[in-house]
Amino acid sequence: MALAQQVQLHREPGARGDLARRVTGSPALQLVGRRLLTAIPVLLGVTFLTFVVMNLIPGNPAQLILGINASPGAIAKLDTQLGLNHPFWDRYWLWLDGLLHGNLGTAYSNQQSVNSDIAQFLPTTCYLLLYALVVSLGLGVIVAVLSARRPNGIVDRIGLAISMLGLSVAPYALALVLIYVFSVRLGWFPTISNSLGSNPLTAIRALTLPAASIGFPLFAVYTRLLRADIVEQMQREDYIVTAKAKGVGPWKVLVKHATRNSLFTLITLVALNLGTLIGAVAIIEPIFSLPGIGAELITAIGDNDLPLIEGIVVVFALVTVAGNLLADLLYTVLDPRIRYGRAAS
Amino acid sequence: MRSRLMSLRTACIAGAAALVLSTAAACSGGSGSASSSPSVQTSNSNIAAAAPKAGGSLTVLEGKGYTGDWPLGLDPATNTTGDADQDYYNSVYGQLFELGDGGKLIDDLATGYTYSNGNKTVTITLRPNVDFSDGTPLTAAVVAWNWTRDLESPCTCAPSWTVARVNPKVTTSAPAAGVIKVVNATTIQVNLTTPDGAFINQMFDSIPNWIASEVSFKKMGEAAFAKLPVGAGPFIMVSDSYSNEIVMKKNPAYWDKPLPYLDNLTFKSVSGDEAAYEAMLSGEGQVYTDMSTPQLLTESAQHFQVLDQLGTSPYDLQLNTASAPFNSTQAREAIYAMTNFTPILKNIFDDAYPVVQGFTGPGGICYDPTVAGYQGYDPTLAKKLVAESGLNKVTINLGTISSSPVASETTEALAQEWSAFGVKVSLHVYPLNGLIQAFTVNSGKSWQAMIQTAGAYDPAGGVGVGFRFDSTSPFSGVHDPKLDSILAAAAASSSLSVRCPLYNQAAEYIAKNYYGPFYFSFAPANVSVKGVAGPGLTTPLPAVAVTPAVLWEDVYDNPSSS
Repeated sequence: MALAQQVQLHREPGARGDLARRVTGSPALQLVGRRLLTAIPVLLGVTFLTFVVMNLIPGNPAQLILGINASPGAIAKLDTQLGLNHPFWDRYWLWLDGLLHGNLGTAYSNQQSVNSDIAQFLPTTCYLLLYALVVSLGLGVIVAVLSARRPNGIVDRIGLAISMLGLSVAPYALALVLIYVFSVRLGWFPTISNSLGSNPLTAIRALTLPAASIGFPLFAVYTRLLRADIVEQMQREDYIVTAKAKGVGPWKVLVKHATRNSLFTLITLVALNLGTLIGAVAIIEPIFSLPGIGAELITAIGDNDLPLIEGIVVVFALVTVAGNLLADLLYTVLDPRIRYGRAAS
Repeated sequence: MRSRLMSLRTACIAGAAALVLSTAAACSGGSGSASSSPSVQTSNSNIAAAAPKAGGSLTVLEGKGYTGDWPLGLDPATNTTGDADQDYYNSVYGQLFELGDGGKLIDDLATGYTYSNGNKTVTITLRPNVDFSDGTPLTAAVVAWNWTRDLESPCTCAPSWTVARVNPKVTTSAPAAGVIKVVNATTIQVNLTTPDGAFINQMFDSIPNWIASEVSFKKMGEAAFAKLPVGAGPFIMVSDSYSNEIVMKKNPAYWDKPLPYLDNLTFKSVSGDEAAYEAMLSGEGQVYTDMSTPQLLTESAQHFQVLDQLGTSPYDLQLNTASAPFNSTQAREAIYAMTNFTPILKNIFDDAYPVVQGFTGPGGICYDPTVAGYQGYDPTLAKKLVAESGLNKVTINLGTISSSPVASETTEALAQEWSAFGVKVSLHVYPLNGLIQAFTVNSGKSWQAMIQTAGAYDPAGGVGVGFRFDSTSPFSGVHDPKLDSILAAAAASSSLSVRCPLYNQAAEYIAKNYYGPFYFSFAPANVSVKGVAGPGLTTPLPAVAVTPAVLWEDVYDNPSSS
């Protein structure tokens, strides 16, 4: 059928109504809608708590902006300009109003729009997290599958040793070791990366050690968890015995059946770990001088820069909510029998 | 299939082994060179330098929390970060006057000055035929525009000149007519309401010393100008990512040809001394300014040039006389008597800094390390005074700033030392903002003791003695009109023969009243790779306040000499 005819068909009123019904009735879209609705109280709670905590910390933002010698008159004037003389609830409401209009306010420390600050720093953090996640997940799955192929075999034992190392080391300590070995001694990667540059290879090189610092402990967790789950599936589940009885090869049973089923656990763990990942970037980015949102958060906390802190917290909360939503959707991809919002038949 | 598995297994084992071996090789190499010398000279007072060489690029590392932060860009009228960012300002704007080796006043964009009218009028002559990098001329009218804008700035970086205002009640009101007078194209005059013989010394690290292009400012607007400012300095801004990275290149129209030597100058912010040291080891930076971690100074001296700077800001234990327990003279005297700084300086700081009893340092004017009548360490007297003043019945809140490892290590050492006399101490380490709050909350009556630097190249300038001891300063624990008048008289004269005896008198007065013991004159060291040379890197400069300003136009890189 010609493309034009297909388009014409879709434009017919009946077809359009059917499409609309299918779209609104889509379980996946309903799930997205429900998750977005539940994100609203989460965001409100997170931002409110941050607002309360930052208001309890001593320090006057007007003094910060004006400097150490600011006169009381100048501070009072700036307090008024920034709305800091308003009661707590009024200030929170004003900030929420701005958020609803897509305006996260103006950072106290650099007088820039928080939106533009986040737009400037977020990409670096996204690249870093993506790099750490992809590599840790990819290697984690490979090592877990190889380890589960022969429990207590040589690969499993080496995998266990490496994983224990990853589980025992804190990202910031690992970062220092990696810097010493791979930057200072071997000169393979840079120690500091104040900009990623426009060349993708330069960016990958700059992000490798930070991503390894964050990703290695994650890789260890993913490997151990996935390996244990696959081994359990291989030893206890009836469908594995059935598959083997039908003559399916051992690798196919391991990868296509057992590993696929075990990915549910892994996805859940990755989603739950997103918060930890975000915490890790706040520690790792300053060590490598990476201009990311994590380093910016640490500076903002030191500066008592409430609008910037709130803006970054909103972004982190959104990423966490989106990550968990993605995990829910991936469940349905892995097992099409899962239908959210419908009673089990 | 089996052979593929075997290959995979072999590859995995080989990979793991390679990782372990490379790590071991790297680590063994490091420990070999690191521990080869049991006794290391940590720093130098002067470093032999090769002949100047034009060209090349340098990357300068700056520590976060102080020099590595420039959150508002580089517009002088909004510079809230004080002397922290002088490297960048000096590079792009140049200076009217520079502070050189041995405290020598160097003419830069200005060529001279005179005091008149009882030190109430200062006349400055500008260098003729100097252009900004945008091609417009640097004239007295442009300087007047800059200074008017500086005086109207709500920023506390505004000059502390005592001048008549259009509205005397508003501190940011425009200066009255005649305050800043353009005499001719290269001569400008400032008329003050009170005598100020330290006017020129106060220019260093102060915003009137940096002159912006009026034409570019008006064309670009304030925000864009702060990001890529235009001056008549040795370098031109190429890019600026705030508090992260600044890239500059040589200003081809610089007045003092063939300077600057360097073609490119990049400043990068790093998380601190450790990160900077590692970055220099891996060749990602050639200079790090303001290193103060004692262990790293020792390590750095094995690989790089480490230059001690001439301190001008002694560490001082501020005691708040406005509230208990230090509203008692006896309690303050007890602090003097139970503090023995010799072992602290030797064991923690390797005797790197000179002991002083007053607010002057070896790099500044009127330096005198001893003060007549200064109460030194006396354990017998200390025990008696502690018991009599009741200091052993209270817990002293001792605070300092978080960005200085020297300050925080000093507070911990003091707490240990005082505990031998039964004095309990609660330590508080504040970020800058928290420190300001701690000083100012409850009208300045809540804090008890703080470890801070007190002093400057000229005690009348910047974070000088008045900042910590004058009644009008919110960061002073002393409210004594007699001390105020001594300090004011010292600042009013332009003659050192008049000023220095007055500062000696002030130091004796502080000691006599036990207003706060002084410990040592601190200045961080500058670290550079061999072959790099220049004022502040191979020859010491006096610190304007805490850190000296490297004269980047005179810095060169001659790797063949290393």
